[in-house]
Amino acid sequence: MADSSTPPRANSSDAVMRHGRGSPPSTPRWVKVFGTIVIVMVLLFVVLHLAGLGLGGHMHHMQ
Amino acid sequence: MTPSLRKITLTAHVTSSIGWFGAVAAFLALAVAGLSSADSQLMRAAYLGMGLTAWFAIVPLALASLLSGVVSSLGSKWGLARHYWILVKLVITILITILLLVHMQPVDILASAAARTTVLSADLGGLRIQMVAYAVAALLALLVLTALSVYKPQGMTRYGWRKQHEERMPSRV
Repeated sequence: MADSSTPPRANSSDAVMRHGRGSPPSTPRWVKVFGTIVIVMVLLFVVLHLAGLGLGGHMHHMQ
Repeated sequence: MTPSLRKITLTAHVTSSIGWFGAVAAFLALAVAGLSSADSQLMRAAYLGMGLTAWFAIVPLALASLLSGVVSSLGSKWGLARHYWILVKLVITILITILLLVHMQPVDILASAAARTTVLSADLGGLRIQMVAYAVAALLALLVLTALSVYKPQGMTRYGWRKQHEERMPSRV
């Protein structure tokens, strides 16, 4: 998950310069994009399985 | 965590993650061979090999990667929930590990069918295509995890920001 390199500190990065010390940094755009993609893929996976292309199909083969 | 222990957990994490990627690549090669080969012996060998690769390489390496990643993060200043890139990695790793465990059942179905019969049933055609698709999807997800580790995109979570402020406070008094 992490490595031994030093993590950036908010006070030395531009995060605090933009947001000030009183308010927490806002969620970066790349996180929102990632989150959207993950949610879409999970929904797609669930829909495919409910449509019988996933686990239902697997169970069918066992019978 | 001591620096030496931190390096051991990081080594375990990098090794298991690389191994996971390699094992999935081998699984993909077997899935493609099983799908495209006209030789029934090769096809059976491929699906038997897929079952073994999945149970004895992919699953253990995935769990080792997840566990060592969590320990490594908690033992370093990066933390587990302080930076978005680590949090996103954790979520993706958990999701693909769950999907992997859920899809061990069709792998077993193909492997047991290959062990029982010389010619695989046409009913299993869909499963054989699914194996290739899942392996490609897993490789792409693992590639994303690797890229996140290398690029470490900026962004501190609210929790990380709060913890950093708490840690800075005593030094100012």
